[in-house]
Amino acid sequence: MGVLAVMLWSCSQSSEPGTEGKAGRLKVVATTTMVGDMVRAVAGDRVELQTLMGPGVDPHLYKPTADDVTHLRNADVIFYSGLMLEGRMADLFERMGEGGKRVFAVTDAISDGEKLKPAELAEHWDPHVWFDPVVWSQCIAVVVEALTDADAGGGEIFKQNGEAVKGSYLAAHEWALKRVAELPKQKRVLVTSHDAFNYFGRAYGFEVVAVQGISTVSEAGLADIAKMVDFIKQREVKAIFVESSVSRAAIERISKDSGAKIGGELFSDAMGAEGELFDVGEGEQVDVGTYEGMLKRNVFLVVEALK
Amino acid sequence: MNDFIPAFDWTRVVIDPWAAQFESSFWIVLMGFLATAACGLIGNYLILRRMALVGDAISHSVLPGLAVAFLFSGSLQIGAMFAGAIVAGVLTTLLIELIHTKSRVKTDAAIGITFCSLFAIGVILINVFAGKIHLDTECVLYGEISYVPLESSVKWLGGAIELGPRPVVTMALVFLAVIALIVVFYKELLVCSFDPTLAASLGFSPKVFHYGLMVVLSVVVVSAFESVGAILVIAMLILPGATAQLLSPRLPVVMVLSVLAAALSSLLGYHLGVWMRCSIAGAMVVAAAALFLLVWIFSPEQGLLQRWRRARRVDDGGESRIEENNGYSS
Repeated sequence: MGVLAVMLWSCSQSSEPGTEGKAGRLKVVATTTMVGDMVRAVAGDRVELQTLMGPGVDPHLYKPTADDVTHLRNADVIFYSGLMLEGRMADLFERMGEGGKRVFAVTDAISDGEKLKPAELAEHWDPHVWFDPVVWSQCIAVVVEALTDADAGGGEIFKQNGEAVKGSYLAAHEWALKRVAELPKQKRVLVTSHDAFNYFGRAYGFEVVAVQGISTVSEAGLADIAKMVDFIKQREVKAIFVESSVSRAAIERISKDSGAKIGGELFSDAMGAEGELFDVGEGEQVDVGTYEGMLKRNVFLVVEALK
Repeated sequence: MNDFIPAFDWTRVVIDPWAAQFESSFWIVLMGFLATAACGLIGNYLILRRMALVGDAISHSVLPGLAVAFLFSGSLQIGAMFAGAIVAGVLTTLLIELIHTKSRVKTDAAIGITFCSLFAIGVILINVFAGKIHLDTECVLYGEISYVPLESSVKWLGGAIELGPRPVVTMALVFLAVIALIVVFYKELLVCSFDPTLAASLGFSPKVFHYGLMVVLSVVVVSAFESVGAILVIAMLILPGATAQLLSPRLPVVMVLSVLAAALSSLLGYHLGVWMRCSIAGAMVVAAAALFLLVWIFSPEQGLLQRWRRARRVDDGGESRIEENNGYSS
């Protein structure tokens, strides 16, 4: 052991300069698609960005490949979502940060007052903050600051892009508010498969009801389903929704029993594929691989189905 | 098809891991080896006692341990989770041992009864007390072998000697402890596993050794879960031992062979994982299974090929039959 360790120690010393990146560009790794899109919008081509969890990947169940590990190892800066979204991976990130690596949870920028805590939990925040664009746009500052710290020469560009991105997020929010206003208050009930939409509900005045808890692993029980069917009938909810990264079985069952139609598949823990276009009405096409496109598509589907 | 299976690029799959990414590769393969070998060695005794699936059992029955740990500590920190899991693991193995020694229920059924009941209790505890929390083994307990090279190093003598990533050092200690225990109690474990009556007449209680083995097992399994995840541990309690037992009937030889099988599975599995761009733990298990398959077909004494040839020779005439039978039983 000892001999090997010494051998490797010397090896790690010599391999250090190789991590600087080929064309001198900063190597950046992001975990989820939402974080990745934010970094891309702020940094553009100035960094070499790698997003670990692709479209449709549930962050709770993500398994890294050998390539992912190489990316993480060689990264100059790592951004993750935080608030336990990445599970035990976050413990690792924290330890890497203590070891001197540039690792940042973008949600660190959000003040406690703006975060939600499900009633049952004493200690843990709801991690799905990206569904409130006003809150999510605060996270841009973390990205701008961390990138500037690592690449001072790009500071001005990051700052300008950061402000542009913030504007773009807030514009998407305005757009969403306008669309949601088409729904009368009593129709704003969002029934989905797991608890990813609490922030969405707060931002747009929806009552959010989920069949499953926060975790995507445990399936909904019979009692949960029966309770949900009663609720839907009583409130005359017209449509319920499935999610891109969660199994649709329970929601389909509820739809059948309650008569509410399935309003479509919402993006929850991951966004869509890059370059995939979606028509959100009035001739506007959005790229669902971007944050704004993802948000608009969700809002469009919800509003159209519940009208 | 080509979209799913990346091309086999010799440089990317074989050279690069040991050149540009040497450090990552080394720690992952070493970690794979240590975890597999520790599990494989204990696994040999489990297979002999028809308890090979006890690893799978523990992977389910730690759930109530996690739930109770959360209720007491109010947090999902790994320290509390690990303690809860260890207690649940030890409880599982002790219950299995208790059920099958104190009733007519056989070990396989005892394993089934124990882990299903504990798992169900865990599910109910979570539903009732922690319905909205993200509490599952995958998220709060299981580690990931790929992250090993990213962990900070354990340092000795004020940083003069860098031993290696924390999980590797822990697993190395567990591995050495397993070897030490097997060497010290070799005779006792052997007799207890093969002939409990003889053990009793020799003056040591097989019960003590069974319970002892089970406690050690659950500690090894849970600490391996924490650093490399469940799938690798469950498989490696079974595959290296099963492979080795096809090659030799002698326990010391089997022990050495199972460590060898562990090393090969870890190395080949790592390269398979790099090639397929998939989960490394999964690839290591597939490599171990492939190794088992090869040995099962080509083993010189018990292999399928040899059996088939022997069966043909029996059809040809009676003389070689006696000879073969002698060779087989010795």
